[in-house]
Amino acid sequence: MSIKRWARLLGGLAVVLFLGAAPGIVSAFMVQFLINLFMMAILAESWNIIGGFTGYASFGNVAFFGIGAYTTGVLLTRVGFPFALALPAGGAVAMLFAAAVGFPILRLKGHYFAIATLGTAEMMREVVYNLEFTGAGTGLVMPILRTPLTFFYLMLAILAAVTLVNWWLSQSRFGYGLVAIREDEDAAAVMGINTPLYKTVAFALSGAFAGLAGGVYAYWITFIDPDAVFKVIITVQLIIMAVFGGTGTVLGPLLGALVLSAVSELLATQLATLAELFYGLIIILVVLFMPKGLSDLIRQGGLSLRYFARNLREYRI
Amino acid sequence: MAILQARRVTKLFGGLAAVSLVSFDLREGEILGLIGPNGSGKTTLVNVITGTLPYSDGDVLFRGGSIRGLPPYEIGRLGLSRTFQIVKPFRNLTVLQNVMVGALFGARGGARELGSARRQAGEVLEFVGLAHRAHAPAEGLNVPERKRMELARALAMRPTILFLDEVMAGLNRAEIDEAVELIKRIRDRGITLVVIEHVMKAIRNVSDRIMVLFHGEKLTEGLPEEVLNNPQVVSAYLGRRYAEQAHA
Repeated sequence: MSIKRWARLLGGLAVVLFLGAAPGIVSAFMVQFLINLFMMAILAESWNIIGGFTGYASFGNVAFFGIGAYTTGVLLTRVGFPFALALPAGGAVAMLFAAAVGFPILRLKGHYFAIATLGTAEMMREVVYNLEFTGAGTGLVMPILRTPLTFFYLMLAILAAVTLVNWWLSQSRFGYGLVAIREDEDAAAVMGINTPLYKTVAFALSGAFAGLAGGVYAYWITFIDPDAVFKVIITVQLIIMAVFGGTGTVLGPLLGALVLSAVSELLATQLATLAELFYGLIIILVVLFMPKGLSDLIRQGGLSLRYFARNLREYRI
Repeated sequence: MAILQARRVTKLFGGLAAVSLVSFDLREGEILGLIGPNGSGKTTLVNVITGTLPYSDGDVLFRGGSIRGLPPYEIGRLGLSRTFQIVKPFRNLTVLQNVMVGALFGARGGARELGSARRQAGEVLEFVGLAHRAHAPAEGLNVPERKRMELARALAMRPTILFLDEVMAGLNRAEIDEAVELIKRIRDRGITLVVIEHVMKAIRNVSDRIMVLFHGEKLTEGLPEEVLNNPQVVSAYLGRRYAEQAHA
């Protein structure tokens, strides 16, 4: 590995350590904000594996989040598993579900794939609504854990892990295979890439991390119901974050989650009812002026009129 | 000995036979020219052999073993590689990264690490004369450069057999001469080639043997001079009247 790469890894480690020390410094409110931020960042980074690197825009990743939340929740409350077992089980079930669903629907492309994934998430919501052992429509109440920092560190650790996986994708044969599929799947196949397997593994990885985030979320928030954890808007939010930061890059989705979470929090406290409007406006402006996301903006040397003008020209808007 | 044997390969699109009962042997180390008017089934034949399209009937043996029904990636790993007539670059990658994908995957025994893939890709770019563009984004290449990159990617797969689908289309005369030289140098590396081409002068210069397809069927096969002077071939290309005049 080159020195630059080591420096980046060390830099990342320093950030994680700094964040690890954060709860000692910041307010309790800030800790809750950070837990939520980490969660959205995990979802955006895990979506990036299938949506960014592989180029399959999944609109159903909330299904994995919900399945993770419910698996962990049911094992915790109905079966009596300790959380240390219930959480990995949530990740594992979400991963297996993603693999099982992914194998057939990853044959679809573009809009058809997006619609199929959207349908999968909605279907899971209906399924959970109608199952007795999940608490059906009334939801599931978790026991209360009186150490909120557990959730902080768990979310941070999962975020670090999923970011490392994204970094590995940017540096590995497997990642090159995914990018080749994104760029031209027919060419990728004749070049010797087992495209069905690669896509399924990418989808399963994506599902595993979303499932883990869901598992932590369930225990953290102490109450889940189908509408809360299979909400389509969560998928939309995490895709916006990934696109805002830069899809297919290692840190873009994380950056997008950070900036947009902060912006939306600020707007909510400052503007209350108009918050959604401004949030929407920001997204429209970003898509128009910097469609490749924050990470590209930074790489190209920061804010300048020329950068925006070039994007407008290049994408013929 | 024949390295590839096509046996009555047939591809139907609805009622239309795009390829019909085509049989031929490909000898190890040769350059086989594959010609025929537009729509005669050349590309379809390559698509079927390389697994991009399913067979309607027939079989293809590679080193004596059937490859019918194998997915494209397994055929690629066996050592059959191809270029596309309409090139399929990985647009957001650099030229070097495009070729690295070929080195990383491709035939068994290829590079499995980025470092060695990068080295191999660099060598291949040197070989095809595109090294100076290694770090350019693929979408910035002009047509001749794109054709070369397509060729470089296929070569980086370390193929045993290479199918070239109109790599000379859109090139000027000087570029065609270069391409002919390049194809001969590829053969000198021990790679067997099937070259689909429309440029007659080039195909005559480069091929050891030529096979002609017409309306999906094999019209004839043989040495370049005898095939290109065959009245049936002339008539297929230029119309019957011209052929009659030529032989009057």
